[in-house]
Amino acid sequence: MFNFDWLSGVSQETAKMVFLSLYGVIGLLVLLLPTEYIYEGIAKEDRHWWNNLKLWSISVLAILASIYYHF
Amino acid sequence: MLAGIDYFIVIAYIIGMLLLGLYFKKFVNSSEDYFLGGKSLPFWAIGMSIVVSDIGALDFVGVSGQAYRYGISVGNFDWVGSVPAMLLAAFIFIPYFWRGGMYTIPEYLGRRYNQKVRTIASVTWILFFALDLGVLFWASAVLLNVLMGWPIWISIISTAGVVGLYTYFGGITAVIMTDVVQFIIMFIGGFALVFLSLYEVGGWDNMVDKIATMGPEYRNHFDIIQPQNTKSPFPWTGILFGLTFVMANAYMIGNQSIVQRCLTAKNEWHAKASMIFGSALKMFIPILVLFPGLMAVVVHPGLLDGDQALPMMIKSILPPGLVGLMFAAFFAGLMSSVDSLLNSTATLFTKDIYEPFIKKGADDKHYLKVGQITTLVLLVIGVATSPISSDFPGIYVAIQTFMSYFQGPIFAILLLGIFWKRTTEWGGLSALVIGIGFAVYLNVFKEQFFTIEDPFLYISWWSFLLGVIINVSVSLMTKKHTEEQLKGLVFSSKILVKNKNV
Repeated sequence: MFNFDWLSGVSQETAKMVFLSLYGVIGLLVLLLPTEYIYEGIAKEDRHWWNNLKLWSISVLAILASIYYHF
Repeated sequence: MLAGIDYFIVIAYIIGMLLLGLYFKKFVNSSEDYFLGGKSLPFWAIGMSIVVSDIGALDFVGVSGQAYRYGISVGNFDWVGSVPAMLLAAFIFIPYFWRGGMYTIPEYLGRRYNQKVRTIASVTWILFFALDLGVLFWASAVLLNVLMGWPIWISIISTAGVVGLYTYFGGITAVIMTDVVQFIIMFIGGFALVFLSLYEVGGWDNMVDKIATMGPEYRNHFDIIQPQNTKSPFPWTGILFGLTFVMANAYMIGNQSIVQRCLTAKNEWHAKASMIFGSALKMFIPILVLFPGLMAVVVHPGLLDGDQALPMMIKSILPPGLVGLMFAAFFAGLMSSVDSLLNSTATLFTKDIYEPFIKKGADDKHYLKVGQITTLVLLVIGVATSPISSDFPGIYVAIQTFMSYFQGPIFAILLLGIFWKRTTEWGGLSALVIGIGFAVYLNVFKEQFFTIEDPFLYISWWSFLLGVIINVSVSLMTKKHTEEQLKGLVFSSKILVKNKNV
């Protein structure tokens, strides 16, 4: 049990899909965050698209997913 | 030994760091300036600082060595082992800590659970950091001794003198801003080595083809996902359950030296952005530390000790001048780790031990002085204990193992503490104590329980799981906290919208 023997039948390809799905789920959760919360700390008149932390997060997750897809 | 130009670069780097660090002395007028940089720092500086303090010279050598032995799967630690945890920290935990005006993670645990949990967590971190200091001083001294020819004790005292002076006077602002320069030097030195090594092996595709023909032991060298029954320490099950779900979160959310940096941000947006920017930078770390190890498989095949891979590559690939820069990058990694430990330990001692137990209600200047004196005392302890590394060469691994006992249970109580109102002080305390005990037990009897050679990922997962079960069980049997006690400490969807006081 401690060695996760019950997952020994899972192939490396399936395991890779588990990781890619995880990044997808995290990305979805980030997109669900209210925009107001993302910009908290910046005055309304100073808010620009490049301050949108959802964009930052999705970009990082996309790069991460492409690394795992490639290798 | 270094050539004349290398020697010049290293000396110029050390003096430059000292002067830059001392420049920030003028910004320190209160304990908040000393421990939290007056809450005035920008996200880019904090993000760089998080990354550079996380990667030290010992990791440079160790990760390259592991890449030499096990291949690209070592990169999991900086990829899946950082990004998801840093996003969780950025969007959930850091806003709570920042809004609450906290200085330390144990301070949150104290408010959420009780003073005992706060003290156990704080003392454990202080012990770990203090022990680590001696190891890092010794590692710096060995580097200076081998490359510059300086005697060991002169090397230790000069490292302690430079880092200690700017940390003592400039506090965390000096630590973070010197980290920015150290980050830039580390990236320039690291990328120079990677590009020249790639040229040496005839490009990436050529390297992959050559390694593929070197025998069956290299068959999985370019598989980031290793099978469950691999003999390497990185089966995908351990990476998913132990690293991604527990250790990465415990490190990014429960590590004082990481979180304290985010608390120096000038506003909540900068606090969140610092973690996300740091996660983007973290993705480059495997290129710097892992790729040279992979390329060494082609350039220096058959090394008995994988940890020789990086030094051999530097010696055989880099020209004079770049060797000095690479050494400055090593030294940058060590200095950034030492200054982080000094400032974070001083913060933990002053805020979690001195203020509640030794002298309550003193004026702010008093706590500033205590923080500075603690920094000095830690320096002396670090210098005095550094020879232990010479007598016990495995002490670095021993310290890391000791820390892994703590990761699962601490994340269990942080996670339930912020997401579940019903968690009580006794639930948290028993989960912490029993969880740590269980991790120690699993480690002592690891041959009986585990089939892989170093099961620290599995141990952190199982101790986390037990911590959750104990916390839930005991909490349900004990008196729940009042709404007033939980105000501002437990996650509420309201924090995501308007009400900042939740």
